Amino acid sequence: MVEEQFTDQEAYFLERVDRGDRIEAEDWMPEDYRQQLVRLIAMHAVSEIMGALPEKEWVPRAPTLYRRLAITAKVQDEVGHGQLLIRVAEDLMRPWDKNREDIMEDLFTGRLKYHNVFHMATPTWADAGIIGWLVDGAAVITQGMSLSCSYAPYARALQRIVEEEGFHIQHGESICMALAEGTPMQRAMLQDALNRWWPALLMFFGPPEKSQLSTHQLRNIRYRIRSKTNEELRQRFFTKYVHRIWSLGLTIPDPTLRQDPVTKEWIYQQPDWNEFREIVNNHGPRSEARLGLRSTTYQEGEWVRRLISTAHRAG
Amino acid sequence: MERLDFDVYEVFAQSDPLKPHVHVFNVLASTPDMALALAEENFFRREGFVNLWVVRRDAIHQLGYQDREGFRKSEKTYRTTEDYKYLRDKWRHYREHPMSAEDRTGGTRDGSVVD
Ligand SMILES: [Fe+2]
Ligand SMILES: [Fe+2]
Repeated sequence: MVEEQFTDQEAYFLERVDRGDRIEAEDWMPEDYRQQLVRLIAMHAVSEIMGALPEKEWVPRAPTLYRRLAITAKVQDEVGHGQLLIRVAEDLMRPWDKNREDIMEDLFTGRLKYHNVFHMATPTWADAGIIGWLVDGAAVITQGMSLSCSYAPYARALQRIVEEEGFHIQHGESICMALAEGTPMQRAMLQDALNRWWPALLMFFGPPEKSQLSTHQLRNIRYRIRSKTNEELRQRFFTKYVHRIWSLGLTIPDPTLRQDPVTKEWIYQQPDWNEFREIVNNHGPRSEARLGLRSTTYQEGEWVRRLISTAHRAG
Repeated sequence: MERLDFDVYEVFAQSDPLKPHVHVFNVLASTPDMALALAEENFFRREGFVNLWVVRRDAIHQLGYQDREGFRKSEKTYRTTEDYKYLRDKWRHYREHPMSAEDRTGGTRDGSVVD
């Protein structure tokens, strides 16, 4: 982006962003800014909605009534997060005459992708624990950065979301802790789940940039939509969680993992980024099943949405 | 496929009878009742409230950005206690060194010399 090419209006907009001003939905904004936001927020929204499904599988199978109530609450929160974010995206899409129906349509046709982690299988109760502890933990690292996003409605939605994530993470920690303190079989189950999730957790932050930032990233950083690179966020994740994972006597399935004592940078085995691309293009282990479930439910709910729309409003 | 139509309702909640209603977020609904039900479900799964309002967004009128910006810029310390902070020191001074009768004649606030 060469700044000299900007119109006065664009230059003024960037000046607002630079001085840390927050942009509201009705304010003038460059079309490019709007597009970057919709891309990000719609993706985040459907990830919350699809993210409810892996743990939903454990609602009827939770080991105790208390755990069942808690995981139900968490699943409900995730759908709620999707609701907040879809509203934020819809307000941005209004000038294009688009709404949530287009977002759902894009999800079903594969045009709109959701986070790699929610394409994965959850065969055991330990997977539900690892999701709460480490997937939500990873998500909060990203969302924590986005609290400073220049677009105010997104930052406001994130404030509500991040507050609830605090509960999700501790719910996950509590499940993992109980398993870690349990029988050899329970410990083995937790270790297996960690082995399954580790590459997916690293993939969650996206490919490392090396020194090459993508045009999308450069723009998002210029617009103060994001402030950190994928790799910076992943490094934070390591710093926050590696020692905690070790402290439960678990083995991280990467013998090369270590922190450089001088630079403090974590050295690690790259996950298979080709596999990552396959997964987010809906060729992951559970992509088809979960999208199928989501789309069947959407179709089955069509008559309800029709009935409660303004078309049927009394009077 | 024909598009379904809903309205945006802005949600305001009051957390305490002595506090004002504060804007919470918004929901999509076709009636105020539906908006209230969704607001409870979406925003009050944990914390409580003493009162809840929903207002159709098209009934809310707001200032444009330029006006908000203009409002923000104006300094209004002359309307606040901000400019009177010096009074505290003066009162302390006069408690310790009361003005004599001659001092009381003439002199203006701005002209008076403390030391
Ligand atoms: Fe969430
Ligand atoms: Fe969560």
